[in-house]
This record gives sequence, C-alpha cells and structure tokens, in this order.
Amino acid sequence: MSDTPILEILGVGKAFPNVRALADLSFGVRRGEVMAFVGENGAGKSTLLKILAGDYRLDEGTVLLDGQEVSHVDPSQARKAGFRLVRQEPEIVPHVSAAENIYVGELPQKRGVVDFEKLRADAKALLEECGFAGLLDLNASGDSLSPAQRHIVEIARALKPGVKVIAFDEPTSSLTADETQRLFKLVRGLRARGLGVIYVTHRLHEVMAISDRIVILRDGRLVGVTETAATAPDDVVRMMVGRDLSYGFVRQETTRSDAALEVSDLSSRWHRNISFTIRAGEILGFAGLVGAGRTELAKVIFGDLPKRSGEVRVGGIPVNIKSPSDAIRANIGFAPEDRKGEGLILVRSVIENASMAVFSSLSRWGVLRSKMMIDMVSPLIASLEIKTPSLEQEVGKLSGGNQQKVVLARWLAAKPKVLILDEPTRAVDVGAKAEIYRLIDNLAKSGIAIMLISSEMPELLALADRIVVMQGGAISSPIEKLDASEERILSFAIGQHAA
Amino acid sequence: MKSISQSKAVAGRGGSPLKAMTRFVGAENLSLIIALILLVALIASQTPFFFAPRNLMNIGMNLSVVGLLGVGMTIVIVSGALDISVGSIAGVASVVSAILVTYAGTVAGGIFAGILAGAALGVVNAAIISYLRVNAVVATLAALSAYRGLAFLIAPEGRPIGVLDQNFALLGSGRVFETAGFPGIPISLILLLVIAFIGHFVMSSTVFGRSVYSMGGNPAAARLAGINLTRMKFYIFTISGALAGLAGVLVTARTSSGQPASGTQGLELEAITAVFLGGAILAGGKGTIFGTMLAVVLLATLSNGMNLLGIPTFYQLVAKGFLLVVAVAIGQWRMARSERAQALAAGGHRGIAP
Repeated sequence: MSDTPILEILGVGKAFPNVRALADLSFGVRRGEVMAFVGENGAGKSTLLKILAGDYRLDEGTVLLDGQEVSHVDPSQARKAGFRLVRQEPEIVPHVSAAENIYVGELPQKRGVVDFEKLRADAKALLEECGFAGLLDLNASGDSLSPAQRHIVEIARALKPGVKVIAFDEPTSSLTADETQRLFKLVRGLRARGLGVIYVTHRLHEVMAISDRIVILRDGRLVGVTETAATAPDDVVRMMVGRDLSYGFVRQETTRSDAALEVSDLSSRWHRNISFTIRAGEILGFAGLVGAGRTELAKVIFGDLPKRSGEVRVGGIPVNIKSPSDAIRANIGFAPEDRKGEGLILVRSVIENASMAVFSSLSRWGVLRSKMMIDMVSPLIASLEIKTPSLEQEVGKLSGGNQQKVVLARWLAAKPKVLILDEPTRAVDVGAKAEIYRLIDNLAKSGIAIMLISSEMPELLALADRIVVMQGGAISSPIEKLDASEERILSFAIGQHAA
Repeated sequence: MKSISQSKAVAGRGGSPLKAMTRFVGAENLSLIIALILLVALIASQTPFFFAPRNLMNIGMNLSVVGLLGVGMTIVIVSGALDISVGSIAGVASVVSAILVTYAGTVAGGIFAGILAGAALGVVNAAIISYLRVNAVVATLAALSAYRGLAFLIAPEGRPIGVLDQNFALLGSGRVFETAGFPGIPISLILLLVIAFIGHFVMSSTVFGRSVYSMGGNPAAARLAGINLTRMKFYIFTISGALAGLAGVLVTARTSSGQPASGTQGLELEAITAVFLGGAILAGGKGTIFGTMLAVVLLATLSNGMNLLGIPTFYQLVAKGFLLVVAVAIGQWRMARSERAQALAAGGHRGIAP
C-alpha cells in the first residue's frame, strides 16, 4: 500500500451562524485503508462528510482528492472527482424500479430512449461486484424496498465507476447481522482494491472490527488519530468525551417532593413498556443517540403521536391525553426540538407566539383582551430577558437564543406542572446556552417537573438530577446524578454497557 | 390592521405624519391606496362619466358581491388554504333563495336559506378536506364543478328563476339617503361594510381569528400549541360557504332572478385576486380584511374604468388573469425579502447536523 493519502484534509473549518461546526481539521486517508470517524452527536462527523460530498461549502482550508483540489465543489462535481457518500437515509425514488434507482440521473440511453436491457445488466453486474447479489430484486419498485435494500441501492450507486474514496455514514443501522457481515466483506474488498474508505458509526465494536485507523472528533476539533490495533475501546470513549462544556453552570441540589409526572408501561409504535417518574421540581434527563425514540416519546406523552397502551398521571391523577390540547389542559407543556418547524410561528409577533397556548384564558366570549395579553407577556419578556424591540416584533427576526426563550415564555404562560424540553439549546449560541440553563434550573426550582431531552452530555450532566438512557425504544433505569458520567451514559447509549 | 395590541404599541411611538400614517394603515395598504388614487386619476382624465353619481353607485353595488366573497376568502387564505368553490356556492345559493322567495313567498326565508345552503356546502368542503385528506385546492376545484352542476339541477329545468318580490329586490338595488343631487348609498354596500367590519374584528381580536393566523403561519406549531386544526377547518370553510351564500342571495336580489351560473361564474378568481393583492401570501399566516377590501375597491374601479373606456371583455379577462399573477408575485417577492432579513437577523441556520 502506498503511503500517500488519497484524501487530504488540510486546515478545514466551517462555521454556521452562532455555531462553530469544524475548526482547523487536518488529516489524511490513505489508499487501501479503512478510516473510522468517531465522536458524539454534534462532534462534526456529518458536517465533515457533507463538506466532502459538496452539500456544504467549507469556510477555510483545503481538501485534496488524489492530488486534485476539491475544496469548493457541488455534489455532482464531488461525485465525478471520485468521492462517494453512502448516506444513512438514502434518497429512493418511490415508483421506479431498484435498477433505475441505482442509475437515477444517469440512465443508459440508446437513440434517446432508456436502454432498459443495458440498465438491468449493468445493475446486476454492479450488485454481484458488491457481493449483494440475491439480496435485491432489481425490478422491485423503490417504495417496496426494505431499509436494508435501500442501503444496498445506495451502496451500488456509490460504487459506479470512478470511485476513489467511499464514505459510509452509519451503514449498519438498518442491517441485520448477516447483512452487516456482507458489508464488512465488501469494505475489506474495497480496501484491497486500494480505495480510501471512511467509516462513520456510533458502534464502537464495528470500529474495532473493521477500521485500520480511527479519527476522533470532539466539538468540531480533531482530538486524535490512532492506529486501531494499538487502541483499546475505553481509550476511544475517553477521547470522545472528557470535556467541560457546561459553561460553568452548576445546578444546586433540589429537595424532592411528590411525583408530578408518572408514566407507566407506555407502549407505542416506537416504544415498549416505558415507565418513569418525575417529581415536582426535578429534572429528569433523557440521553440517547439520535433516532433512539426520545422525541417520539415526548410527542406520545403530549398527545401528538398515538400511544398503544400505558398510563400517564399528572400530579397523581390519571389523564387521558389524545391531543396536544388535552395535554395542555392536563398542565403539560412541550417545547419541541425543531423550533422553526414546530415551535414558532415565525411570521407572527412575539406576543402572539408567547400567548397562543393560553388564548382561551386571555379572552372573554372568544374575544381576546389585549390588556390581559400584554400584562401576561410583558413580565415574561422581562424575566426571561428576551431581547426584542417590541411585543409586536416578528419572531423570525429574533436571534436563536431569543426565539427559544419565546417558546419557553409560551409554556411559562400556561403555568404547567410538567414541562417537556426537547433539545432546548440546539442552534443556540454559547452565551445564550448558559442563560437557558439558568432558566431551566429556575423553572425546576419553582416546582415544575422537567423532562429534558438532550444529545449534549455536558448539558444533561449539568442540569439533570437523574438521567435515563434511551436505546431502541426502551429506557434504562435512572442513573443518579452522582453516579453519572459521560462514559457511563455513552456506553449505555451505544449498547456497550455489558462490555 | 394587526392585533389590537399593535395599534397601541404604534400609538405610543412618534415620528413624522407620513410615517405615522404608514404605520397606521400598513405599508402594503398604503401602496394600494396610492395605486387606487392613480387609477382613479387616470380613468377620470379619460372619461367624464367616472365621477357621475350613478357610476359611483354602480361601482358600489358591483363590489359588494366580490367583497363578501373576499371577506371569507381572506380567512381561508390566511389559514393557509384556498377555496375555489365560492362562485359555484353562490350559484346554488342564488337558485335556492329564488325558489324560496318565488314559490314559498318568504323573503326572510329566502335570504336565510341561501346563507344556510352556502354554509352547508362549506361543511361538505371541510369534511372532504379533513376526513378524506384531500388537498384544499383539489377538493374545492372538484366542488367548483359539482356545485355548479347542483345549481342547475335544483333550478326547475335548469333555467333561471324570476323573482318579482319588490322587497327582496331592495337588497340588491335599494338605496338609502337618496336626495335630489345624491343617488344614495346602496343597501348591499352597507351590508358589505357591516360584514367586513365584523370580519376585521373577528380576525384581529378573537381567539378564533388569531388561531387562524397561527395555523396559517405554521400548522405544526399551532397544533402543538393546542389548536384543533380539524375543528378550525370546519369553522373556516363554513364561514366561507355562508358568505358565498349571502353573496349569491345578493346576486338574486340584484338581477331579480335565481341564476345557476350567470352572475356568479368566475367570482372565485376575483375574490382570490383581491385577497392576494390585499397583502395575503399563498403560504398563509398573513393578510388582512382591510387590505382585501382596498383591493376589492381597486379591482371594481379598474373593471368599471375598462367598461367606461370601452375595452372589450376579452381583454378584461386577460387583464384579470394578469393581475392575479402580479398580486401573488408581489407577495412572493416581499416574503423572499423578509426571509433574507430574518436570516441575517437570526443567523437562521438549522444548526449543525449531528
């Protein structure tokens, strides 16, 4: 194997408004090696892949692919240059065949007409080359494919001629053990062909099994590059975490009182037998990987997604919640993860957004009392320190942190007993984070039970009194704050706990 | 024309009279008023008949039908939907009211039945949209055809029904405050003013109205804030249907006949154009009754001016289509501009993907 890197990443940086996603990243991927990228949610793995694939533009630095500069490319140029990304959730055209899906955008033609014979022959040859022959019916329509088959289509797309570096983003999340073994065989075959292979996964045992070297990322920075053979799994976990990003915030011990939210044996399409209790004034953290079912759990409790069975009690009284309005009546509030998509009405004003969950209590005979609205919202704006020129400001024109505070204001106005916060500091800048932590702490002190879903471990460790870890629709038993550590939570989340 | 609290906040601020005026009526409405003044000046310079009292009264009578539809359509479009069936609903209501007035001899019953028929057809629209999950545009497009057919089916032999009742005719062509030099104010215009006023109040100051703005601005967020979207759709399409029914009753009163088609065909286009011209956007969440009413006046003036100037109907139809495109394009341009401003202000990226 040659030692010249086929892919060189030199000083790459990328910033989003308010968030520094990648900083000064430099390393190389050699020909004929499998390089694993590991890091927590938000460490920058996906951002880096998207830069390489041409989805995002980098702000600084250079990327060389086989000596050729590919720092500023669009997705089709990246493909052409030889970088192929196998996405975690492949785009599949629903009503055309699997073969057409593989060659979408570059169907073979003969005199201006699609040459279906060549298409099928090419697709068949490609599948055999990948080692996936027999796992995929090429005539099956896109929407009938299983998640694993969709993945196979995506892999076949990536392996079309011209590939130099191939990147797999969480490739095994939808594969069975047998399919995973076939994938590993394919990856080893690609390595033997001299391709550069990038393998991104949360599953540490796969990293240890398949990779030659490991790149560890944390908060958009390179922590280290290690030889897999010379590294123990524990070392990798330690390098992935081990930071203090709670911004100096330390939550005081709270006195615990009666149970405010009791969920028992809750099952739904996404969950099975989930039981937990949050006491008044307590913050229960929900850790887990993206896709573990935490957001769905919040929505099931809030009545936005259907539950199959189980009971929810608020303040000891069983409540039958079938819709968000039922949940609000039962004194539950929910600040969703997708602030712009589900939280706020961006084109409407601060006062409307802050009061919309309690419109009926601010009205008489259906007519809103503007004085009551102002009297209710103004103090909230002041106590949450929302920076807005007026109550009439369109919410879309506020900064991310202030937008999040408007969502909090809405639920404070509803005076909930239970407040569900889903990723409350996502896309909020560092300064505003500490402020929001303080607010959440104050909410708990005022006696609200808080269900805090977060993918940021330091956030959970700083705020939560107890932490449960969710994996595949089930939850672990609560870890007391004193016993919690990032390593411990992470090992639960990636299913390594037994090891 | 924003919420009550805004007018208060506005009143608190100083500034030049022009700025105060802009804030009071809104920049979008101000441009409509300017356009209206320019249009009137243009038409008046070309024909001496425009300012004739009779002509002004004619404009007033003509705009009342489109105006009523515009009030309902504003609510529908602000909620993020579209109701293309209002012209056909007006046709059904026109026939129903004529049957009641002529064959049952009851004027009040005719008016009431027309409105009720419109409301009922609105409920059908809402049911199709909510329970069969048919997109509002497609559902009301289907209704546009079906209700037009229904109007012909219930009219005896599919023909217009003559209405001779003089009291009923007053609703369409009656005037109040008529003096020697002043032709009076059409009763239908007063009716529109009352309805528009109520509509404005409902949209700006009631829980229902503010909920319409919320669901149009972001249905997912509105749902998660406890607003029952299904129930809201029923209210909204029922109101739109009832107002279309009332508009159909006016058509019957003015033409002294229950018309299955003539007089109501194509009204949906005019109402939709007026709402977009009045500052609403296709995506929902924005728009005011006041803006729509200004646009209705503008359109009625334009149409009247084209008639006075002898411009053939065919050109007028082309002009109407052109106007709708212009109205929506202006709205889109305004949205794009404010989105850019938002992105700058909020650093509005969706955050880093994990």
